[in-house]
Amino acid sequence: MGSLNSEDDQARFASVVLPHLADAYALARWLTGDRADAEDVVQEACLRAFRGIGGFAGVNARAWVLTIVRHAAYTWLGKNRSASLVMVDDLEAVEQKQSSAGAAFEQAPQTPEAELIAKADARRLEAAIAELPVPFRETLVLRDVQGLDYREISEVTKVPIGTVMSRLARARRRLIERIGTDKPGGAT
Amino acid sequence: MTPTDPRLLVHAYVDGELDPAHALEVERQLADDPALAVERERVEALRRVIAEQLPREGAPPDLARRIEAAVGLRPAPAPARASSRPSWRALAASVAVAAFLGSGATWLALSPGPPDADMVVANHVRALMATQPVDVGSSDQHTVKPWFNGRIPEAPRVVDLASEGFPLVGGRIDVIGHTPVATLVYRRRQHLISLSEVPAGRTIATSHDQIAGYNIVSWTDNGVAYWAVSDVAAADLEAFAKAFRAAEPER
Repeated sequence: MGSLNSEDDQARFASVVLPHLADAYALARWLTGDRADAEDVVQEACLRAFRGIGGFAGVNARAWVLTIVRHAAYTWLGKNRSASLVMVDDLEAVEQKQSSAGAAFEQAPQTPEAELIAKADARRLEAAIAELPVPFRETLVLRDVQGLDYREISEVTKVPIGTVMSRLARARRRLIERIGTDKPGGAT
Repeated sequence: MTPTDPRLLVHAYVDGELDPAHALEVERQLADDPALAVERERVEALRRVIAEQLPREGAPPDLARRIEAAVGLRPAPAPARASSRPSWRALAASVAVAAFLGSGATWLALSPGPPDADMVVANHVRALMATQPVDVGSSDQHTVKPWFNGRIPEAPRVVDLASEGFPLVGGRIDVIGHTPVATLVYRRRQHLISLSEVPAGRTIATSHDQIAGYNIVSWTDNGVAYWAVSDVAAADLEAFAKAFRAAEPER
């Protein structure tokens, strides 16, 4: 700690962290909602990763990098968008209650046909994803945009695989409802 | 929670996350329950439209440079790794392209970008680093092929080459350029072979190549460009390509 990082660390950083920069940036962008903020978050995360490169166990570099990025993004959100994180505990409580009651999907107001879903354009999708509460959003993005499997998502978001599954189902459900009720191009 | 709610499990099913026993169970319920089948269609439609509309984008080039500078790595060197250094042949080709462009002909098919070969190797390397090299793991072509339904527009050609010494390991989605493509993974002893199928893709002129120590063989069949990449010996990879092309189409 505190000593100069050796060239070994630099080489390790280059082979462990740099290959996942695109994924790091994508996650940061979806969490912060802004490209410039995402760059700040990724840069901060990379510095943390560099300092902690000795702690990487050499198993899944992408999940390790994304875990650090997520942590940096949460720190950033806490400073700049604290409102978006306040709800997490409440959501978890609601989620727990609903899944234990098995009532997760009972009262769907309106569920669109698959054809309607298929017609959603990038702007509507992005807007609908951006509206998801952070825990749902990150789960959906890690799976459906970034292609991580449940085990990796569980590692990155620090929740059990069952929770990953229920958050993912809920996030998709909300998106589907949103796309169905949205007027095309209906952003004001 | 206990994930026995079929409406939850159908997501895991669509994601290829269920073990065979649970997958069978979900398939049975899908057949019995039209509402569940509709739910599955919606989820698949959503996954598909996200993949189409929100392709993964790269990090801004500036960001990589700043980070490299911040940790004391040299600023990004010119893209001249030994393996991708332009040879006189590539230079000659680029002169030819320039002449072609100068003639006013269409340039779309020749537009520059990272060569597919580089991306195929990058995908393979990345898969080897991941916890598992496949998104759907199965030696059964009838499990692997349907998994691609709804994930990519065209179903890939999947053949059983176990008797030729190349058992199927599974499949995954790779991205080449901005296009999701099907990649099958086969095994040769302890080595993995990634086979990407790129509709309307271009192959390398020489049909075999080596990048960063990985052998590459490419060919085109019925308008689909096939890319096989692996660290097996070049002769083994050639044998694999030959066996794949000669195999009976799956039924």
